[in-house]
Amino acid sequence: MLKKRPALLWLLAPYVLYLGVLPLVDRVHPTVLGLPFLFFWLLLATLLTPAAVYVAWRSDRKRGRA
Amino acid sequence: MKATVATSVFAVFMLLTVVLGLLAVRGRGRGGGLTEWSVGGRSLGTVFIWVLMAGEGYTSFSYLGAAGWGYNYGAPVLYVIAYLSCGYAIGYVVGPTLWSYARRHGLVTITDMVAHRYGRPWLGTLVAILATVCLLPYIQLQITGMGVVVSTISYGTISLNWAYFIAFAVSTTFVAVSGLRGSAWVSVLKDVLVIGTLGFLAIYVPVHYFDGYGPFLDRLVAEKPAWLTLTGHGGSGLGGSWFVTTSFLNSLTVVIFPTTVAGYLGARDANALRRNAMLLPFYNVLLFVPMLLGMAAVFIVPGLTGAGSNLALFKLVVDSLPAWAVGLIGVAAALSSIVPMAVFMLVIGTMWGRSVLGAVPRLADRPDRQKVAAQVVVVAAGALALVMTYTVPNTLVRLSLISYEGMAQLVPMILLGLVWRKLTLWGALSGLVAGGALVCALVFTEHDPVWGVNAGAPALALNLLVALAVSLFGPQPVDARPDEDVLASDPGMAGDVGPAASAVSGSV
Repeated sequence: MLKKRPALLWLLAPYVLYLGVLPLVDRVHPTVLGLPFLFFWLLLATLLTPAAVYVAWRSDRKRGRA
Repeated sequence: MKATVATSVFAVFMLLTVVLGLLAVRGRGRGGGLTEWSVGGRSLGTVFIWVLMAGEGYTSFSYLGAAGWGYNYGAPVLYVIAYLSCGYAIGYVVGPTLWSYARRHGLVTITDMVAHRYGRPWLGTLVAILATVCLLPYIQLQITGMGVVVSTISYGTISLNWAYFIAFAVSTTFVAVSGLRGSAWVSVLKDVLVIGTLGFLAIYVPVHYFDGYGPFLDRLVAEKPAWLTLTGHGGSGLGGSWFVTTSFLNSLTVVIFPTTVAGYLGARDANALRRNAMLLPFYNVLLFVPMLLGMAAVFIVPGLTGAGSNLALFKLVVDSLPAWAVGLIGVAAALSSIVPMAVFMLVIGTMWGRSVLGAVPRLADRPDRQKVAAQVVVVAAGALALVMTYTVPNTLVRLSLISYEGMAQLVPMILLGLVWRKLTLWGALSGLVAGGALVCALVFTEHDPVWGVNAGAPALALNLLVALAVSLFGPQPVDARPDEDVLASDPGMAGDVGPAASAVSGSV
């Protein structure tokens, strides 16, 4: 399945964003918009996850039409 | 006076909930049997699936536990957002896979999926019983969660015991009659109220108590840094490795969780599920609100301990808002108990109607009778949880400790089994037994987390090892069916349409 649909690897993006880079982002400073860095990062990850799934979806849609 | 207003608002909305739940099946007649009731006749579109699955994910934990964890520990509670987002993303593949498998073979729940995959009806029965043991504590958690909320927002007018009963009565009534469709309709009301009230609180609390977000966050960073990184405050032992293992494990578990699967199977087409994999993570943004407000409560109502900390959010609400608003926020929280509870009861009913009682000759191959049996089980399961809440509350609390980690042990049998033919019945079963035993041993001897990781993780590793070893070197059951009949696969977008798919979509 992954050979035919390599874009599905994008579905693993949240695992990288939330878990893979955790040691790097588990900190209070620098604060962004007042948010402690860890909270800012996880909020960003929450907003980026749908984008990653969208990339997989767009690729599937192109294949489906072809 | 305050109590009257808040209680009236609550009563009106509870009535509305029951009416809405019952109206959901108006005009649908009595046909359709178990499929119509359990998975809404596999007819829900993107919006209903979103509302329903968001509704299931956002439980009484979100209002009580999330705020309580935020209050007590801080950052570790963010694991909830991490695992839900990861789970929603892989649901992009898992959802359509399970959906097409179930539709092709006329299956309505995970227990008849395993029965079909391994060709053994008794395996479905066994999994149904295990899953029920894991789910009953969740029903109780919703009952008690709603109890404390309702008694708090009614300023003590409604006693805990009455509130427990209302939780049971409201959810049982509409789910027994309307099934998944009723839950989806009530979820609409719930999501509107949850989004509205949390959106309001997210702005109101910092402004009211701290003169806005800037000062609130500045104070948090300056005075409570212990709350803002892992391991969190208070020596919880919930560090980075716990966070990663728990989120990873839960993200795999949530996609095969019977209630999630009920949502998957209710979808009209696979694309509704793919769109939801994109849209559902947005709902998680809302989860930050009770977590942040729980931490805000550390400044405003310090010194809450034990179960009291779960009410961190509601202390602020009752302290600062007029009675009608308190009532409305209470309704949102109560519905966050009622909707998940209804779906928990629905899947228990479905599993028993199909896989336990369905094995009785008089019910076999009779979806209409299985539906009635399932409805009876719904009432029985709800009543059992209610009675246990009154009489032996601690039994279910202890069981709830193994609920999620126990369900995680089904991951190899279901997810791996559905894509890999070489996993044998005995392999999957031995793995389940080994993993389940290790979870119980670790949790009940209070070794969770163990070596800093979630106890379910080593158990799942053992589960997988045993399953692989027994599958490769153990007895090889004879199963002449071709792979297409046994295994599942993501149909892909091209596979959604076509005459073969639509020909079998009728009720079963």
